[in-house]
Amino acid sequence: MAVEAVAIAATDLASIQASQMGMKAIGAGLAVGLTGVGTGVAEMGIGAAAVGAIAENKDFFGLGLLFTVIPETIVIFGLVIALLLLF
Amino acid sequence: MLAPKPMSRVLIVASRDQAAPIVEELYREHLFHIEDYVEQGREGYEGFKIGSPLEGATEASTELIKVRAIENVFAIRGEDIYAKQILSQPEIHKKIETDLPGIEKEVEELAGARSKLDTKAKECEQKILELAPFLEIPVDLALLRGFRNFAVFAGYVSRDPSITIPHEMQVVKGKERSFALVVVPEKNRAEVERQLQEAQFQAVTIPEEDGTAKARTAYYTEQIVSLKKEIETINEKLAKIKDAHTDLLVACEEAFRAKIEQTEAPLRFATTSKVFVAEGWVPADNAKTLGAALDRVTGGKVFVSEQPVDPVHDNVPVEYNNPTFAKPAQMLMDIYSRPTYKEVDPTLVLAIMFPIFFGVIVGDVGYGLLMLALCIALWKFFKGDEARQFLKVLRNASIMSIIFGVLYSEFLGFECPWSPIIFSRHLNIGGEAGAHGAAITELLIVSVWVGILYVTLGRALGMINHARQDHGEHRMKAVLANFGWIAVMWGIIIAIWSMFPIPLMLDLTGLPIIAVGLSLGLIIAIVLIVMGVIFIARDSVLEIIEIPTIISHVLSYTRLTAVGLSSVAIAMVINYMAIGMFINPGMKDLSIVGIVMIIVGVLIFLLGHTFNLALGMLDGGLHSIRLHYVEFFTKFYKGGGRKYIPFGMKRRFTED
Repeated sequence: MAVEAVAIAATDLASIQASQMGMKAIGAGLAVGLTGVGTGVAEMGIGAAAVGAIAENKDFFGLGLLFTVIPETIVIFGLVIALLLLF
Repeated sequence: MLAPKPMSRVLIVASRDQAAPIVEELYREHLFHIEDYVEQGREGYEGFKIGSPLEGATEASTELIKVRAIENVFAIRGEDIYAKQILSQPEIHKKIETDLPGIEKEVEELAGARSKLDTKAKECEQKILELAPFLEIPVDLALLRGFRNFAVFAGYVSRDPSITIPHEMQVVKGKERSFALVVVPEKNRAEVERQLQEAQFQAVTIPEEDGTAKARTAYYTEQIVSLKKEIETINEKLAKIKDAHTDLLVACEEAFRAKIEQTEAPLRFATTSKVFVAEGWVPADNAKTLGAALDRVTGGKVFVSEQPVDPVHDNVPVEYNNPTFAKPAQMLMDIYSRPTYKEVDPTLVLAIMFPIFFGVIVGDVGYGLLMLALCIALWKFFKGDEARQFLKVLRNASIMSIIFGVLYSEFLGFECPWSPIIFSRHLNIGGEAGAHGAAITELLIVSVWVGILYVTLGRALGMINHARQDHGEHRMKAVLANFGWIAVMWGIIIAIWSMFPIPLMLDLTGLPIIAVGLSLGLIIAIVLIVMGVIFIARDSVLEIIEIPTIISHVLSYTRLTAVGLSSVAIAMVINYMAIGMFINPGMKDLSIVGIVMIIVGVLIFLLGHTFNLALGMLDGGLHSIRLHYVEFFTKFYKGGGRKYIPFGMKRRFTED
């Protein structure tokens, strides 16, 4: 009786750990995916405007690039969180 | 270092008859940035007008056009050519007088003859096109025209025409439409025309030729062949001239261009009927020598004086002042903006740190070697100055990638025989990680340290910049505001240290509690933050809302680790897919399926690593430069300086 209970507890523990790992993986995926969408939405408008400005005046390239990559930070934070979750 | 080259404002005054030697000398020295004279009634310049070109401007322009026309015939571009020999000034003048007219005449004649032959060949081709519909008609074309009592129709029809008048007709069936040749009595012409219309007749002119269409086509084809041969001989002759005289042509172009630039220089000077005044900028080290050189060529008939520089109102042109190894990074600075004259020039920081950041992100011996190879391959194709600077930047970056690859012990995502010298980046992908997993926390903390130091350095440079550029009451406030930013940042950091122990950072959690439950660390932190906020607010209250950017900017440097790890992850996934999933199972069973699996595995390996290499270069480059542009430069750097463009040119094919 007692042996059986221990065995059941052990399998339960293993499955709980596995599902925790799975939850972490889902969390990491959501972190990268959602921040990626956020960055994309933010860069959409900036990128379009920057390309327009560069077409008018090539000197704007550096500043345009700068503005376009500012929202990149969001997805980097997502990536960092994902890495911390997974490893 | 960390500042542009000091400049002197130089004023050159001389009588107009001295203009030619002075301009020539200025051009040769390649030092004098001319300040264009604009007629706006500037104080002290009453009565001055813009000068007129020196003698010989028109002739040089005409000659330049001729030389460029020849260069066009040969498709030569000066930038693509390496000078085998450099011609001296007397040599080039001699050659312009003796050789150039001959070459010009010969090339002109040959090009003229070639275009005539080209036209003839085109005409023949046109004739062949006109004859094409009649190829299947075995009648002499001369028999199809010139009748008095018969009308001849030739043309395409979409179906067989039905003609009720007595006639003779030949139809050549085609795929979509047929070609019809109809002969009818002249008096029925109108009626036949109508009947042909019903078959959707499209008339074709009968060629003015004697003989059958086949024979004529053969004749014209022959003609074209012989014309092509003639063109070929002309091309050979032209190629010989090109081989023999390319160097001379580019040298002549350079000489004429120099001549034109010199003769047109007075258009930028202020002149009266007797004298001219040239104003401009010279690097301070060279001002004296330039003055002496001008004295020498004019025999002392020139007045050269150095004027005081007012860095605020004079828009001083800016020339970088960097050691040779840092020169390629100037290109990256110019993309952002050239520094102004009084500003700190961060090129040196960029030159050292950009390749290191790139190396930290890519950090792979294999990718580094591939990039270096790419760089060497491209070196042959790109000969322009800017492209070469860019390749030099890439070269430095790939060398740093190799060095960091050795430190991380990485080769295309595999582990090298040695264990990582600094932190490991080997992730646990496909169950193939070694005994040591990736030291992610440590790597992230190191990158945060980089961020802390960079932001501090940026603000410190901001203090220097404001101290140099600002005036009056604002100056002190701005300097203190920058100090305030540093204080707030370190306050936040010390507060975090006092509350949480973090590996690789100071642990202040053990400090004694002093008052109201606050430890010594927290009290210092609060003092720093409050002081900082006050300093910032004194300069500009609105800036307070920017305080959270301190955290986001510092944490932004974690991308050094994050982007690098994502690139490592992609490489490891490719290796696992190629080797673990295709090549290894394929090797076990060397049947046809096994061999196909090995080939697929190799393809995945090659394509995957090419993709990751491209991504690595883009990521490594863009993120490294962005960490400078956004997180570093915004703290202190404004830019907007004017480029120093000295009068003269870098001579490549001629010398003075």
